[in-house]
Amino acid sequence: MDSVLDKRLPEPGLTRAVAGLSRVLGGGSDTVEHAAACYHCGEPCRETQLVEDQKSFCCQGCLFVHDLLKENGMEQFYGLSRHPGVKVKAPKRGNDWAYLDDPEIQNRLLDFSDGRTNRITFHVPGIHCVACVWLLENLFRLLPGIGKSEVNFPRRELSVRYEAQGIRLSQLVGLLVSIGYEPELNYARLDKPPARATHKRAWLQIGVAGFAFGNIMLFSLPAYLGMDKFSGPAFKTLFGYLGLVLAAPVLIYSAADYWRAAGLALRSRILTLEVPIALGLFALYSRSLFEVIWGRGEGYADSLAGLVFLLLCGRAFQQVTHERLAFDRDYKSFFPLSIKRLEERGERNVALSSLEVGDRVVVRNGELIPADSRLVSGCGLIDYSFVTGESEPVEKNPGDYLYAGGQQIGSRIEIQTVKPVSQSYLTSLWNHDAFAKKKREDLNTLTNRYSRRFTKIVIGIAITSALFWMLRGDASRGFKAFTSVLIVACPCALALAAPFALGTAQRALGKKQVYLKNIFVLERLAEVNAIVFDKTGTLTCSQGLEVRFEPGRFGQQCLSTDERAWVCALAAQSTHPHSRQIATALSNPTKAPAEIRDFAEVPGGGLKGRIAGHLVQLGSRTWLERLGIHVDPHQLSQGSTSFVAIDGKPRGAFVFSNALRPQTEEAFADLGGRYELSLLSGDNERERSRFLALFGKGARLHFNQGPLEKLAFIQKLQEGGKRVMMVGDGLNDSGALRQSDVGVAVVERTGVFSPASDIILEAGNVARLEQILRFARSSTRVVRASFGISALYNAAGISIAAAGILSPLICAVLMPLSSLTVLLFGCGMTTWAAKRAGLTPATPS
Amino acid sequence: MLVIFLLIFVSLTLATVFLCCFFWAVKAGQFEDTCTPSMRILSEEEPISTNQTPERNT
Amino acid sequence: MSADSATMGGITLGRERGRASAAIETFKYDNHIVRAFAIATVIWGFVGTAAGLLIACQLFWPQLNLDTPFATFGRIRPLHTNAVIFAFVGNGMFCGIYYSLQRLCKARMFSDALSWINFWGWQAIIVSAAITLPLGLTTSKEYAELEWPIDIAIAVIWVAFTINLLGTIVKRREKHMYVAIWFYISTAITVALLHIVNSLEIPAGAFKSYSIYAGVQDALVQWWYGHNAVAFFLTTPYLGLMYYFLPKAANRPVFSYRLSIIHFWGLIFIYIWAGPHHLLYTALPDWAQSLGMVFSVMLVAPSWGGMLNGLLTLRGAWDKVREEPMLKFMVVAVTAYGMATLEGPTLAIKSVNALSHYTDWTIAHVHTGALGWNGFLTFSMLYWLFPRLYNTRLWSTKLANYHFWIGLLGMMFYVIPMYTSGITQGLMWKQFNKDGFLQYPNFLETTIRLIPMYELRAIGGSLYITGIVLMMINLYRTAKAGRFIGDQEASAPSLRAVASSESPRLGHRWLEGVPVTFTVLAAFAVLVGGLIEIIPMFLIKENVPTIASVKPYTPLEVLGRDIYIREGCVGCHSQMIRPFRSETERYGEYSKVGEFVYDHPFLWGSKRTGPDLHRIGGKYPDAWHYNHLENPRSTSPGSIMPNYPWLLSQKLDTTVVVDRMRALRKVGVPYTDEQIRDSAKSTAAQSSKVVANLAVGSVTNAPADREIVAVIAYLQRLGTDIKAMPATNTLASAQSTN
Repeated sequence: MDSVLDKRLPEPGLTRAVAGLSRVLGGGSDTVEHAAACYHCGEPCRETQLVEDQKSFCCQGCLFVHDLLKENGMEQFYGLSRHPGVKVKAPKRGNDWAYLDDPEIQNRLLDFSDGRTNRITFHVPGIHCVACVWLLENLFRLLPGIGKSEVNFPRRELSVRYEAQGIRLSQLVGLLVSIGYEPELNYARLDKPPARATHKRAWLQIGVAGFAFGNIMLFSLPAYLGMDKFSGPAFKTLFGYLGLVLAAPVLIYSAADYWRAAGLALRSRILTLEVPIALGLFALYSRSLFEVIWGRGEGYADSLAGLVFLLLCGRAFQQVTHERLAFDRDYKSFFPLSIKRLEERGERNVALSSLEVGDRVVVRNGELIPADSRLVSGCGLIDYSFVTGESEPVEKNPGDYLYAGGQQIGSRIEIQTVKPVSQSYLTSLWNHDAFAKKKREDLNTLTNRYSRRFTKIVIGIAITSALFWMLRGDASRGFKAFTSVLIVACPCALALAAPFALGTAQRALGKKQVYLKNIFVLERLAEVNAIVFDKTGTLTCSQGLEVRFEPGRFGQQCLSTDERAWVCALAAQSTHPHSRQIATALSNPTKAPAEIRDFAEVPGGGLKGRIAGHLVQLGSRTWLERLGIHVDPHQLSQGSTSFVAIDGKPRGAFVFSNALRPQTEEAFADLGGRYELSLLSGDNERERSRFLALFGKGARLHFNQGPLEKLAFIQKLQEGGKRVMMVGDGLNDSGALRQSDVGVAVVERTGVFSPASDIILEAGNVARLEQILRFARSSTRVVRASFGISALYNAAGISIAAAGILSPLICAVLMPLSSLTVLLFGCGMTTWAAKRAGLTPATPS
Repeated sequence: MLVIFLLIFVSLTLATVFLCCFFWAVKAGQFEDTCTPSMRILSEEEPISTNQTPERNT
Repeated sequence: MSADSATMGGITLGRERGRASAAIETFKYDNHIVRAFAIATVIWGFVGTAAGLLIACQLFWPQLNLDTPFATFGRIRPLHTNAVIFAFVGNGMFCGIYYSLQRLCKARMFSDALSWINFWGWQAIIVSAAITLPLGLTTSKEYAELEWPIDIAIAVIWVAFTINLLGTIVKRREKHMYVAIWFYISTAITVALLHIVNSLEIPAGAFKSYSIYAGVQDALVQWWYGHNAVAFFLTTPYLGLMYYFLPKAANRPVFSYRLSIIHFWGLIFIYIWAGPHHLLYTALPDWAQSLGMVFSVMLVAPSWGGMLNGLLTLRGAWDKVREEPMLKFMVVAVTAYGMATLEGPTLAIKSVNALSHYTDWTIAHVHTGALGWNGFLTFSMLYWLFPRLYNTRLWSTKLANYHFWIGLLGMMFYVIPMYTSGITQGLMWKQFNKDGFLQYPNFLETTIRLIPMYELRAIGGSLYITGIVLMMINLYRTAKAGRFIGDQEASAPSLRAVASSESPRLGHRWLEGVPVTFTVLAAFAVLVGGLIEIIPMFLIKENVPTIASVKPYTPLEVLGRDIYIREGCVGCHSQMIRPFRSETERYGEYSKVGEFVYDHPFLWGSKRTGPDLHRIGGKYPDAWHYNHLENPRSTSPGSIMPNYPWLLSQKLDTTVVVDRMRALRKVGVPYTDEQIRDSAKSTAAQSSKVVANLAVGSVTNAPADREIVAVIAYLQRLGTDIKAMPATNTLASAQSTN
């Protein structure tokens, strides 16, 4: 059993051991051209290219999956789309998932379980094509005991049912990982996921309204088209009553939310738009009742149903959901679900939730510090770029204090926790009251501000016209006029203006990887007049330091090709990010890697080794000086550096600095004029000069900012009457993002973790900010214009109504017509604005 | 005249009928995911698809 | 340990199959039935179009009926329509449904027995139609010509199909019902209802029956059916197929699945109401007409939603379209659907209809649909299916491409001349000269003008058929080249296991219940949709002005009318004069509802290849009719009407008259016992009178016991009743009808 497993496991080095399959190692084979696309995942096959029956594979992982599928007769996977596979990351070690079998954890993970069957839902970011759907829904072919598995593509979700006895959860996850679909298992997963709003109720309401609308129209059309000529009054009354009956559920069920909202508004003394709507609906129905029962006419049932139907359509349209994205993530989604605790029996994977103060925890390369703790052993090199914004990894020595959220780079370390997860320096940020109070966004919207005035006027007119006719002694006409005014003034078009214009805008932006939480964000976006930027990961690429070599000043020339090769070879030996940078910068495929003797890495110091008889040293200044090599002090000033000495002679330094995102300069040129710009960086002052140049004079640049300080800064701006947009990426920006009027989270790829925010922005779009803001303004202008249009219609309608000569037919025509105009105008103009702002999608993929 | 009452009765059943089946569909989550089903149908076993695989990809 | 053992598990399973867990079920898709229907589709497609070509040629070459009744236009036209609709499209529909449904439900058909009953039953029905129609056994109601025994057979077979369909859905292994399935269900239910409601008839002998509805009501029911036959037999199932086969052929999901769902609900709701637009400007109540019109216009929205959804699915795949003929066919089919569904409502607009109705425009319209939408979609489907059924590649893509281009050319040559002729004739009918007289008072002028168009149309038809022949060859060679896979292995996790283990509210009981519930509900829906339109007519019957002077037909006239029906005269001659000056000038007083109260079935007709006959009575002497029917060109030079020499030679069967009068009395024609008893006597008397008149017209030695006598008697009676009534009455009825 284990022998088979050894062969199967995609471990580098075991390549040749894989039995029974013809392989060619290295690119040198004549059967395949160099760097062919991997048959499985489509990535170019670089270092080791594996070939099996004329198909080349980039890595053991891919080959492994291919074989697995082949053996289970599932090759059609590759027929479904080109290179459908997902590159399999370096395989986790066997026992990585064991902790999942812990019953307490399972209870919190499973959606459903009776004794026999379990069902669990994973979020699997790797899902990307038809083939994925097929493969994941055919898991039962790969592992007996798995039952029905279903993919929800828009949400990138996979829900699997499996036999509780048959297989363990750890097995299931193991399988998923081994075929390249690693489920997202983070700390947040443990608290029950918030019930997702499946807009079932909304759809049912639309269904009811739409249906009633259709039928009532069926009955009222004959009336409008002169039915009575032929078949007398019998039908007229009949259809009248039918209308009332059908309209009732619309009034009660479909329009329920408007009643509720109106009631709420009145209690809180705000005239939101729902108030006139509710009034209008009430007027419509009572008027119809009156007319039908006293045989005065056909009633307005059709207008009522149509109105509600349209309103609900608008509401549905404005609910643009970017189902893949979550706008409300906190640190928990960033922290791992499990950590390696050190126990008597050695290290063991346990759930983060079961971590206690004083526990010993092992942290490997690339893993996260789960809670504030002390370094016990090993040399810590912690990358805080995401949690504090420091661009440079920090070296830590045993005894040093480590903040939670930092990422260990390089060798394995042992730490001892000193605070519970939630009380850590960073995570305690979420106890700040900025997170406590929840914003009600939909309250102070354009629409509501407009509707306040509107409603007062309407009611005014209604009453005056009523009084007018009453004083003329024509009470019934007074009643007519009163209701008529309320009816025609029922602000259907007004209510549709924002949803359709802004909904369209939100969609347009979404096509450009600018994802808005909801349409109200646009309105706030339009009012922004101050922008605050985070530095690391926002303006600068979070990874990928630029590295350049600077020869020292006293007569040292550049490195020769050989020397470069040596330094490269030396650097390649270390996992230190700087070394890696240098190695990649200098790497040269044509030259065979030089061989190194007595290599040594001094933690916190540097590397040294003997190559081709030369002693090559690469490391920090202090270290070199301790070795009696004196470097050019001038070079310390800019950025972080690591120095090179060959045969004891200083040769110069490699200087590292974060690369700015492309076109950032141009973007700032545009922004500078209109907005008050500031920079809040958790990083040190080193690059102040550089960013001063970027932000221009008078811009406020603050460095060494902690999460709470950032939050405070935003508050200060707001107290200064500014509408603030915060652009950040890291956990340390969460507070600021939350506090700001518009929080923009920058992500490298959609779907990866981003702190809670109003907008999720693909990194490439940072340069587009000006465009986006401009577009937001123009789309709100469209909304205002739509208000104007609907106002015109209302004026027309009201003047008819006040005269008390409104007929169902006029109403039935006027209302849809106005709504339709507004709808078309809104969508059309916004689309056009999007074009003008250059936001039209290039080609929807 | 009787027929008219029949008419009312039936048309109301019609209404409820349509609503019922719409309600079922929504409640049963038939319209919950309006994307994946359209992808799903592209990938049913067809003997030919395995034959075609090599051609399609090279 | 676990991750490894997981992958391990995968491998061990791979090694030794069949050790799957209980929840997994393996089963076989039934391809035999699919193949059977596919072959039937191809064959009937050829037959149907060939029949069409024959009658198309007869329109410019009347002698082509070889003076035999069995090859005459009036009898072959229904054969053509039935063969194309029920044989070609019907089999194509079953073929596609039986293939896609199994795969969408991840289940074999509910019952193989039912599948084969469905197949052989359907073929039997088609064959019997192919026999009875040329024999003149017809009810004369369009697309429902088949006589009552076959009607019953159709109902039975259709029920079998429905059970099979629903059964399969119940035992499906895929929770979600793909939109195509909804379309299939709606088809099954609706068609059953339509068929039954419209075919309610009282038998008068083994192969003769009378519709229980009379005149205007019959018309309403018929066109409620006729319209929905188009909607639910030619459209919804094919939309289902489109939503299945188009994405498959393009290998990309449908543009917007949400839209397709809206498309479905939109269609099934609106279609039901759109019937009456076929009867605009007839004696139907205004509001019913307007209603039909409005809803037809509303139909554009969902239809175009569907079309755009189809076309947009191909965006970014147009390179594929260039290569793959099946996609080309698909594109044209969907476009044709869009055009037809835009044109239909246009024709339903009263003012347009005033021009288009009764002309070749209608013919062009239906053929856009039939040749383009149904034809091309079927071809596309077949080209896609055969390679998969036989696990090989298409024998010749090149040939398929030829088929496409020839077929397309054929369509053009068919449709364009028909539009031209339709509009030309429509305008000529309405043309007045400056003195206020009809420009073309002689109907024949307007007909002769069209003959070149008819010839072009025939060319188009032959091209289209050539295409079909190419396809036959291609598919045959494909089948030869490959190995047929009769039962296709498949496996899927059981849905019941899941459902039952899940929360009971949505347990499998529920899931099972669903299609059934939906069925019942949809059934109701359609039924009601019909009733809301039809029942008012029964109400109105009370205030339908029963014109005192309108009397039931005499026994001889009944026989004559039955011959009129048998020969399919209604195919070319309407009996409904619309209230336009152009028509009253040409034909006489416009038709009133009250005149048709004894017409079982109604014979309003839908096409005027020849003139309207409602006021033909007394217009010409008996002898004229005698000569005209013997050889139309003898009285009307250039006429394209076929000769009916057999009417002169065949003996009139008077023995049946009693049964028929009894049957008619059952459906409400007030024949007294005496009338029925003395039917023989009155027949003899009336026919001798006719013979006498013939003699006056110098047609001597005409025997009294020939069919021609009955026909003449009927023709001379047509539309004469109201001439006998006082003027006031006319006015009253006039108001009540318009």
